Amino acid sequence: MRRAFATGNFAVAEGAMTAGLRFYAGYPITPSSEIFEYLAEELPKRGGVVVQMEDEIASINAVIGASWAGAKAMTATSGPGFSLMAEAIGLAVITETPVVIVNVMRAGPSTGAPTKTSQSDVFQARWASHGDYIVPVYAPWSVQEAYDLTIKAFNTAELLRTPVILLSDATIAHLWESLTIYDRGEVEVIERKIPKKVSDEPYPPHKPDEDLVPPMPIFGAGFKALVESLLHDEWGHYSPTNSVYHSLVKRLVDKVVKRLSYVYEQETRFCEDAEVLLVSYGSTARTVYLVIKELRKRGVRAGFLRLKTLWPLDEERIRSCCPNAKKVIVVENNIGKIYMDMSRIFRNQDVFPASVLSLELPTPSEVLEAVEPWL
Amino acid sequence: MALAMHVHPLDKHLRVKRLPTIFCSGCGIGIALSAMLRALDKRISEGSVNPNKVLWVSGIGCSGRAVLYLNYDVAHVLHGRAIPFAIGAVLANPELKAVVLGGDGDIAAIGGNHLIHAAKRNFDMVVVMITNFIYAMTGGQVAPTTPYGVYTTTTPAGNPEYPLNVIKLVGALNANYVARASVTTPHLIEQYFYKALAMRGFRFIEVVATCPEMFGRHIGLRDSVEMFSELKKRVVYRHRPSLEEAMIDWEKGIVIGEFVERNNPSFIELLRGVKK
Amino acid sequence: MFSVGGVVSRSNNKFRVNVIVDRCKECGLCIFICPTKVLVRSGVMNRYGYYPPDPVFIDKCVGCKLCEYVCPDFAIFIEKV
Ligand SMILES: Cc1ncc(C[n+]2csc(CCOP(=O)(O)OP(=O)(O)O)c2C)c(N)n1
Ligand code: SF4
Ligand code: SF4
Repeated sequence: MRRAFATGNFAVAEGAMTAGLRFYAGYPITPSSEIFEYLAEELPKRGGVVVQMEDEIASINAVIGASWAGAKAMTATSGPGFSLMAEAIGLAVITETPVVIVNVMRAGPSTGAPTKTSQSDVFQARWASHGDYIVPVYAPWSVQEAYDLTIKAFNTAELLRTPVILLSDATIAHLWESLTIYDRGEVEVIERKIPKKVSDEPYPPHKPDEDLVPPMPIFGAGFKALVESLLHDEWGHYSPTNSVYHSLVKRLVDKVVKRLSYVYEQETRFCEDAEVLLVSYGSTARTVYLVIKELRKRGVRAGFLRLKTLWPLDEERIRSCCPNAKKVIVVENNIGKIYMDMSRIFRNQDVFPASVLSLELPTPSEVLEAVEPWL
Repeated sequence: MALAMHVHPLDKHLRVKRLPTIFCSGCGIGIALSAMLRALDKRISEGSVNPNKVLWVSGIGCSGRAVLYLNYDVAHVLHGRAIPFAIGAVLANPELKAVVLGGDGDIAAIGGNHLIHAAKRNFDMVVVMITNFIYAMTGGQVAPTTPYGVYTTTTPAGNPEYPLNVIKLVGALNANYVARASVTTPHLIEQYFYKALAMRGFRFIEVVATCPEMFGRHIGLRDSVEMFSELKKRVVYRHRPSLEEAMIDWEKGIVIGEFVERNNPSFIELLRGVKK
Repeated sequence: MFSVGGVVSRSNNKFRVNVIVDRCKECGLCIFICPTKVLVRSGVMNRYGYYPPDPVFIDKCVGCKLCEYVCPDFAIFIEKV
């Protein structure tokens, strides 16, 4: 264990290395580039490979290939690059490839404001690619949590053989805070299952274990892997039938849902007596937390729910986190997206959007101004 | 019956249970595949290639489907993205011998930027591009290699563009090996692939192929034998031709041969050098 | 001529031509390429409805393997006897 004074981008890179990162491919883009640059210095010293590809499409596809060759692999990008990665996220889903994709959110649409912060990609992170699936999404609110959730992202990816998205933003990326970096052995690090031995007989390589996750027959070990982007049965054979479609898509979804209690994380404060619940996540939650403390000083019984996992949501835990709250106010730096989830989940309360559209971390007075009309 | 399982000399390289292939009768892709497997078989039996380290990667298209019949580590990934997928795999495990197989649309149109950069890096892989002059899998649309003036379903008035000469493109970059063969010369596919397997760096082989079903239909050569013999007539072998000679013209002729042979350090070798 | 496990074979004193009946798609390339015209389209349909080649004029086979090399479907191969 060692202490450092670091940015969120640095923390993501360190977290990835603690988790066992061995391959990074990327394409430079603000505000994510420091992750790439720091890894380019550090990772080769620790036996890993860092490469700059010709674009983000190449980067994510290389990361998926590297994972199949047995390496823990990651790429980091921001809005425009993340949009380019959309198709390959689906490839990672259907081929059940553990990879971590960091999206350091900046303001859009399009080229937008490269150096400025935003939370506008929270839905894109879930549904960037076409098709039916669930991809876990984590959103850190501090430098330490950027580190911790990067490790969690790798663990989730390896455990469930799925792509996982870490949604940081320009604020977290360039924020300086103290950081505790752990050594191997001091934190839980999960490794994917691989088949126990090379089978002499042909076997169905996509047949899952009880946890719905099949062991991963990585390349170069004699498994004769069959990685298939087409709809496939347990043998990996293309099979456009409803029975294969149902069983594959449902299993890809169910393997994540089954481990919801592992995947989903949240934090609550002041919820015991709270009458009004403020929901937030990522960098904006920092300001919301300050505002809640201010409101409580003024006598408003405000509670705090901070989502660390933005997808999938544990609706039961969310609904029951603050039993006495009559109102729910969702504060986020976008036009009101997680608000849509909350208004669905809190069926018996009044749920209000408190959007702060800001290129900087929302200030306490901006958040107050957005929240006050609903108090 | 065990005898029926492995009868053809190439059967040990195939997932025989999946045969017959999905390819149309007379499709050139199978000819290319069997030539490549003969070369690989030789390399394996002489001990210079470890079959457990061979990785076949393909994108989407008729040509891409070929890898699914191979009894190796295989990956059938996104349209155009086989090259970057293979780059990631090889960088993560440099023992892997990656062979990328794809159609000219897959490799040179949607995947064109990856092709350029993999060749520029002299990246450690063999890329075999099947040029059948058409987008076959999607039903006969214009491809980067479609000859000028040819009817396709998306150029009903005739292709207004002149075709891309991919050999000249890749030859202008830092590739160690650039060759063109034809399914009408399977022994050359075999010879070039055999050579490529033992080289370092980026190795590119264009295989001109028959597609009686789509391209053949468009140009009035729907019959497999007719299409094959018309292609055969157009193919001209040259010994070590220059890149200027690399003509690929359905009217004037298709020059095959080994255009570029270099022995420059590969990407991984350079990476290791830089690391010191 | 003999047929085992879906393989039809005929040999002369030097070479045996084998056809894996159910792999053939009747493209005719083997028949076309054979320099000595050993192969003829057979009259017996395989399970997919194709008529595979039959090495009727096996005496003329010189073992050049051109049919084996041109077959897109791993359906015909030559052995030395
Ligand atoms: C991103 C994307 N765009 C389009 C397609 C549809 N598509 C499938 S194969 C193909 C082109 C096939 O042509 P080519 O690569 O030359 O291979 P061929 O079928 O001729 O062997 C296209 C456009 C796709 N699968 N993915
Ligand atoms: S459409 Fe053309 S390329 Fe595709 S399998 Fe048929 S003949 Fe081959
Ligand atoms: S070349 Fe092969 S598929 Fe074609 S007719 Fe001959 S045996 Fe059949």
